[in-house]
Amino acid sequence: MVNHHMAQRTWGFWINRGIIHALLISAALFYLLPLVVMLLTSFKTMDDIRAGNLISFPAEFVIEPWIKAWSSACTGVKCEGVGSYFFNSVQIVVPAVLISTALGAINGYVLTKWRFRGSELFFGLLLFGCFIPFQVVLLPMAQTLGWLGIANTTTGLVLVHVAYGVAFTTLFFRNFYVNIPSELVKAAQLDGAGFFKIFWRILLPISGPIIVVTIIWQTTQIWNDFLFGVVYGSGETQPITVALNNLVNTSTGVKEYNVHMAAAIIAGLPTLLVYVLAGKYFVRGLTAGSVKG
Amino acid sequence: MAALEIDNVRKVFGGKTEVLKGINISIENGEFLILVGPSGCGKSTLMNSIAGLESITDGQIRIGGEDVSGRSPKDRDIAMVFQSYALYPSMNVRDNIAFGLEMRKVPKEDRLNEVNRVAKMLQIEHLLDRKPSQLSGGQRQRVAMGRALARKPKIYLFDEPLSNLDAKLRVEMRTEIKKLHQNLGTTIVYVTHDQIEAMTLADRIAVMKDGIVQQFGTPQEIYDEPANIFVAGFMGSPAMNFIPAPIQKEQGQLVAKVTTAGGQTYSLPLGKRGENLEKYEGRKVILGVRPERISEVNITEVEREDVVVVKTKTEIVEPTGPDTLIHITLNGVEVGCRVAPDSAVKAGEDMEFMVDLSKAVFFDSETEARI
Ligand SMILES: Nc1ncnc2c1ncn2[C@@H]1O[C@H](COP(=O)(O)OP(=O)(O)O)[C@@H](O)[C@H]1O
Ligand SMILES: [Mg+2]
Repeated sequence: MVNHHMAQRTWGFWINRGIIHALLISAALFYLLPLVVMLLTSFKTMDDIRAGNLISFPAEFVIEPWIKAWSSACTGVKCEGVGSYFFNSVQIVVPAVLISTALGAINGYVLTKWRFRGSELFFGLLLFGCFIPFQVVLLPMAQTLGWLGIANTTTGLVLVHVAYGVAFTTLFFRNFYVNIPSELVKAAQLDGAGFFKIFWRILLPISGPIIVVTIIWQTTQIWNDFLFGVVYGSGETQPITVALNNLVNTSTGVKEYNVHMAAAIIAGLPTLLVYVLAGKYFVRGLTAGSVKG
Repeated sequence: MAALEIDNVRKVFGGKTEVLKGINISIENGEFLILVGPSGCGKSTLMNSIAGLESITDGQIRIGGEDVSGRSPKDRDIAMVFQSYALYPSMNVRDNIAFGLEMRKVPKEDRLNEVNRVAKMLQIEHLLDRKPSQLSGGQRQRVAMGRALARKPKIYLFDEPLSNLDAKLRVEMRTEIKKLHQNLGTTIVYVTHDQIEAMTLADRIAVMKDGIVQQFGTPQEIYDEPANIFVAGFMGSPAMNFIPAPIQKEQGQLVAKVTTAGGQTYSLPLGKRGENLEKYEGRKVILGVRPERISEVNITEVEREDVVVVKTKTEIVEPTGPDTLIHITLNGVEVGCRVAPDSAVKAGEDMEFMVDLSKAVFFDSETEARI
């Protein structure tokens, strides 16, 4: 009787497992397929591309498309590849991510541990900032950048991304800190620590998960941004997403799919890398509500 | 000199919620003050006000004679132990204890010496390198105390420090805190909602309700001479019996009349306890008698003038080990009696009880204040 029952459960268990795995694997394949096609195509010669089908292996592995994409493909009038734009993006992303994350952390700290009259309203308005579509801010922001004299500069783009990102980073940190017992701050106050000491010594050391979440989120958002880049950047300062678009849309000559694919992968690599390196912290940070004291 | 004076302190949250409604408390150096009262009565708010974590709306707080009402927490020379312990999660035990010293710019060597002294006193030397997350509840509690002790402040505040511990550990730590207080002679303000903790630890107790101090006195005063029905009912377990009883004069003596469930009426002589009750003659008052004052008949005491023997049916019999609690009915209300286990009868049987009125108290049935 007992054995029979157990056997039944085991059967059901394996069937369930099988179904779940089949679903997961097909989902993974579905999402991986474009990447695989891109990778394969980027190592083919143009003849190979014309002859074969999308998912066939390259008849001959060639690295030239990558070199060309990086250093000599035409993006509009210039033919210097996407390499320099890659560094443009780095110069925009690194300061924008760091500044918006730092501001978000301080904001979250104040909004939860040093509440002031109207701080809830302030947070509500800030939250509203998360839902403002890009298009709405385009013109006023252009005007502002003009007034500040930083139109078409990297600094200008950094400012735009910081302003737009602070709503999100504040939300992240605020929701994290609201679960940290306020008694920690009270205890530190009695111990003689001030506003920044408490932040630096007590809260920041336990903020690891949410810092990772915020950095991943901001890096992905800013690196992948196209609209702000195309509107507020120009020529020398444009990010790689804009360069990629220009490369693909350059209408002279044949479409070099292998070069396009290589350039697209180069453009997508950093976000991919960030997620692979820190993805598990991302998931952990999103689900971890509080730190037990 | 008074270590701590709380002078007419009021606290209003957001312009409308009045949480503290004029608190007056004063304690001497080295005294152990317990704030006790039901949840939400404003104990933590008062503690935070003393610490400076919460500003007060009105009144004054003086520490060692100096008005500190406007000072920030760090300038009040106070240490506090929180209910949740509030240990800094990223620091090990040593750094947790030393943090306050570091913030006050004590040299590193002195800090380490102080940590070692405190750790030895609290027997947590072997835990110094651990993180709070690697400690048990009792160990965290000790570390939280260590953090407070390290700085030798003027006043220690404890906000329900034992309420997260299990019953056995709680009793142990209670004794330990008492020992600590005796050895160090520090001034302590201690919040609890546990009335046994209050009775065992305090030099003085302030019983609070709805932001008002109902009574402020020594544990014995609070226990024997409660100011009103609330205090009488809150302190002591099992709780005091409140029996509505008419006051009459019989042979020139005031008595309270009680009737058993069986219809038998007895006269309880008020004696000296009834001194202020002349004007209540012919009216009903609330007679307060603690369960331990209604016991089995005892030959040596039954002769006393303020003792009356009452025979009635027992309704519920609850053995607790050292004694047995029996419920009877007098004047229509349930009354608890504490008897020796050997003399307890079965539920439903008749039993003779000896009502000792030497500690009886009387309350006005309208105002609920003590007469
Ligand atoms: N920051 C605050 N704003 C508004 N009301 C508060 C605040 N803090 C506490 N209260 C209210 O004050 C009352 C007393 O709270 P508290 O002092 O924590 O009680 P206790 O510690 O005695 O349980 C409660 O009704 C609580 O809701
Ligand atoms: Mg409380």
